Amino acid sequence: MLAIKMLLRGWRGGQLGLIFWSLVLAVAVVTSVALLAERVERALVNQSSAFLAADLVVSSSVPANSEWLERAAVDGIRTARTASFASMTYAGEQMHLASVKAVESTYPLRGVVKRSQIPFATDASVIESVMAAPQPGELWVDSRLLPLLNIELGDSIDVGDGTFTVSQILIEEPDGGSSFSMYGARILMNWQDLPVAAVIQPGSRVSYRFLMAASDTDDGSQFARFSEWLGDELTVHDRIITPDEAQANIAKTMDKGRRFLLLAGSIGVVLAGIALALASHHFANGQLLQVALYKSWGVSARRVRQLYLQQILALGAVGSVAGLIIGWGFHQLLLSAVRDWLPLDLPMAGARPWITGFATGLLCLIGFTLPALWHLPAQSPLAVLRRDIQVASLNSAVRGALGVITIAVLLFWYSNNAYLTLAILLGFAVTGGASIIFGLLLLRLGKTYGQKMGSIWRLALANLWRRKKPSLIQMAGFSGAIALLMIMTVVRTSLIDEWRWQLADDAPNHFLVNVASYELDGVKTLIQRRELNTAGWYSMVRGRLTHINDALPNEDLKRSHESLNRELNLSWTSALPEGNKIIQGQWWDSAALEGPVAESGGLAPVSIEEDIARELGLTLGDQLRFSVGGLVFDAVITSTRSLNWDNMTPNFYFLFPEGYLEEYPRTYMTSLYVPSDKKLMVNELLRKYPTVQVIELDKIIDRIRSIVTQITRGLEMMTLLILGCGVLVMFAAVSLSMSERLQESAILRTLGSSKRLILGVQWVEFSTLGLAAGLLAALGAEFAIAMLQHFMFDQAFTWHPWLWFVGPSAGALLVGVLGVAYSRKAVTQPPLQVLNSL
Amino acid sequence: MIDVSNISKQVSTSEGTLCILDQINLSVKAGETLAIIGSSGSGKSTLLGILAGLDTPSSGTVMIGGQDITAMDEEGRAAVRAGHVGFVFQSFHLLPGLTALENVALPLELQGVSDALKTAEHYLQRVGLAARVTHYPRQLSGGEQQRVALARAFACRPTILFADEPTGNLDTGTGEKINDLLFALNEEEGTTLVLVTHEKNLAARCQRTLELQAGRQIALTNGSQH
Ligand SMILES: Nc1ncnc2c1ncn2[C@@H]1O[C@H](COP(=O)(O)OP(=O)(O)OP(=O)(O)O)[C@@H](O)[C@H]1O
Ligand SMILES: [Mg+2]
Repeated sequence: MLAIKMLLRGWRGGQLGLIFWSLVLAVAVVTSVALLAERVERALVNQSSAFLAADLVVSSSVPANSEWLERAAVDGIRTARTASFASMTYAGEQMHLASVKAVESTYPLRGVVKRSQIPFATDASVIESVMAAPQPGELWVDSRLLPLLNIELGDSIDVGDGTFTVSQILIEEPDGGSSFSMYGARILMNWQDLPVAAVIQPGSRVSYRFLMAASDTDDGSQFARFSEWLGDELTVHDRIITPDEAQANIAKTMDKGRRFLLLAGSIGVVLAGIALALASHHFANGQLLQVALYKSWGVSARRVRQLYLQQILALGAVGSVAGLIIGWGFHQLLLSAVRDWLPLDLPMAGARPWITGFATGLLCLIGFTLPALWHLPAQSPLAVLRRDIQVASLNSAVRGALGVITIAVLLFWYSNNAYLTLAILLGFAVTGGASIIFGLLLLRLGKTYGQKMGSIWRLALANLWRRKKPSLIQMAGFSGAIALLMIMTVVRTSLIDEWRWQLADDAPNHFLVNVASYELDGVKTLIQRRELNTAGWYSMVRGRLTHINDALPNEDLKRSHESLNRELNLSWTSALPEGNKIIQGQWWDSAALEGPVAESGGLAPVSIEEDIARELGLTLGDQLRFSVGGLVFDAVITSTRSLNWDNMTPNFYFLFPEGYLEEYPRTYMTSLYVPSDKKLMVNELLRKYPTVQVIELDKIIDRIRSIVTQITRGLEMMTLLILGCGVLVMFAAVSLSMSERLQESAILRTLGSSKRLILGVQWVEFSTLGLAAGLLAALGAEFAIAMLQHFMFDQAFTWHPWLWFVGPSAGALLVGVLGVAYSRKAVTQPPLQVLNSL
Repeated sequence: MIDVSNISKQVSTSEGTLCILDQINLSVKAGETLAIIGSSGSGKSTLLGILAGLDTPSSGTVMIGGQDITAMDEEGRAAVRAGHVGFVFQSFHLLPGLTALENVALPLELQGVSDALKTAEHYLQRVGLAARVTHYPRQLSGGEQQRVALARAFACRPTILFADEPTGNLDTGTGEKINDLLFALNEEEGTTLVLVTHEKNLAARCQRTLELQAGRQIALTNGSQH
């Protein structure tokens, strides 16, 4: 086919390279990000299932309904029941209140249990991962139970009425991390042993879980039907837990990582789009004579259109396929960076990323290349006779609008996020608008003042003004690229800053709760002796919630809500704690409040956490009665709050104004970092101060840290890829005016101009363009960043003064160097050779 | 073959309307040869463009093969050009990205001729460039480029060939060879030739000569037959 032949010749002539590579890059960026996102997404869903040990869990204060089990068996749903409770364990003289979990033999349905024959094992080679539960008569126990009970592996201990053999060290169970409320050493036992131990009596507090997972042959539909059925069966005692919730503590980080990936991908697409638009513009200019010739030979406009359409389609197809292949390669590279926290057998991606990638290629050509070539068929044959004949190219406003629409469609379709789309478009509008207005102004000013300067400056600034249209197009290209790169760098940096605490090696990983006043000094000394540091001590009062609106809570409510059965941590503060948000009502104005409640006898205001409020059916104005060691006081709900679980600082469900709880005995809590080699401190502490509760978060924190590290690494890789796109845009923009410049330089050269003058002029022209572009980019970037931080990344708005410095200087330097490098040819080669090669 | 009556061409410039051609009347029969002469800027190229249907006159009519091309739209003229017209440009207009061979073959390929490359090679041979087929225009001298442009025009075997200074850049020897080629084409295939030239001996070989001066037709003479 002729079009193909022309395409190949065009390729050989080098006019198509830039179009092709821009297209390939656009497709590659989109494909790699889409592939990665989808595969990681799928993997994460699987992985969260692992953290839940199931695909779906019903947590309840009563054992699972036997009807559920029957129905599950019929429907081919895999199930496992678990029961968690605190129980005394004995070995000879020693005893310990352990956190016991009884599991059916089918446990875990997802994920693995890590066990070992060596206590406190950290070396992976001695840790075994199994999809199995203890046999009846066996116990798998936390390392620290051994020193606590003074036993060794293989010894027997008593749990309730039963005697069991300790057969394995329990390093980690898949759903172990999610439980914040377990304090004792963990023990895993078999469900069948529950009657033997007889630890569960009517009235004992047991948390039951009903674990469900799809069978291997199920494509998900069976499971979906079952879970729908189950949803209608639930009572007030039951709560559904999905994999997403199980991941709550890192969900935000991962979500932001995902959003950044999306942002970076979008920026990559836009950059490649700009490069494509510039390259197409350049290409179209180069085709004008050719089309005029065709026309002079009597080729009809229709045929010309057909020929170019065919060429573009062929180019699009080849470029898209190449982009898909390169995108696949790049996604593998990105994957290798985040490999460690992904399961080994990553699920394959579906067709969607491929379709997305291919469609991007097509859309880019339609949005950026077609409009640039649109006027070609209308080219007059007369252009072969006269140079002054110019065909009116598609109105640049129309072209701009088409480009913007394409970018908007691409961005939205791809990110599915209106804010991201809007932010980038807004940044664009600002940069573009400013480019036209200020750009012209700057060039004009440059020309005026340039006349007073030396010859290089005068010549250069006059040149820029003379070529104002291409100059503006170049400036828009440069500023677009610079702005997008700035947006990405800033967002990346701010995210990594935000995560720094998670990446810190000494982030608190243990909480000490319920330290009594008289124990405080002893505990502090013990911690000091181990050379550990706390994150400061918080004081609080332990009390029970006894009455709601003067009535005792009914039995149903009491059964389903632990908070009504145990002592609550009541604390006080004058300012709203960081990360908390008022959902309903108002935060108190400390100054306006009266003295301690005990003195005034009045109602204390209390702010409570929103989930508790909802679960207990509480609203503003409800009265709560608390009992603190037999002393009773009433409080009225004045606000509800949401908490921030991201930062591992203590959170309180019930908050009072400062001074209101002064009369009551207080206890203390703190968080601290305990490295794994000092872990035995926990035992020592618990033995000395048995009433102190230790919440161990080290496993969770390790996991979060590794995930955040990987995500950060992924961000860095992505940044590199996008930088590549940025460079391409720069190239496209620089080469736009190159042949004209080279021609002029060569002519100047034949007239005897010095190398200094010629390169100097290029340097001044390009660096001035870069400087102006950098300035405009800083403006646009600041706008877009403000929007992105506010709407997408939940961050406070900040100014970035350095943008205004780095943008222009980097722009001037980069564009200047690129321009001079490009035009060096004009001085290193004889002028005739230069002219001939154009 | 070509009938021109009363054509004028005005263009508006910043200094007012400029009359480039004024009341030209002319008729060229099939197989005839016509030379257009005149000093630089007298309007020769403009007239040639109008005759070939590449440009339109401000007034007057141009008939090619009995069809009034001034009444046609651009697509109509394109069809006429495709059927009849070949053109050798004063500035050659070779495509820099294509080799000499591809340059010559391109119009044939656009016409859908099957052995375009072979035909192209044949005509390159005839203009004495058999050894340069794979060279790019930038590797050829001005005269060689001109010969490639000629081969490109010949290869389409037009019924009328317009040539704007076809031998302007050539030494006398080569120029003569090209001229022989032009007239051989005229004799063998009955191609009508319309040439713009400065050269007396080339004009003399044509059957008729049209002389322009500042856009006006000052003489239409029968050349001294060879
Ligand atoms: N579009 C136009 N606008 C203004 N002036 C024009 C235009 N087209 C042609 N001219 C002028 O008309 C005159 C005739 O031009 P033309 O190219 O026909 O001359 P020519 O006889 O071919 O000259 P040469 O022998 O140098 O090629 C010239 O003075 C030219 O500058
Ligand atoms: Mg001329």
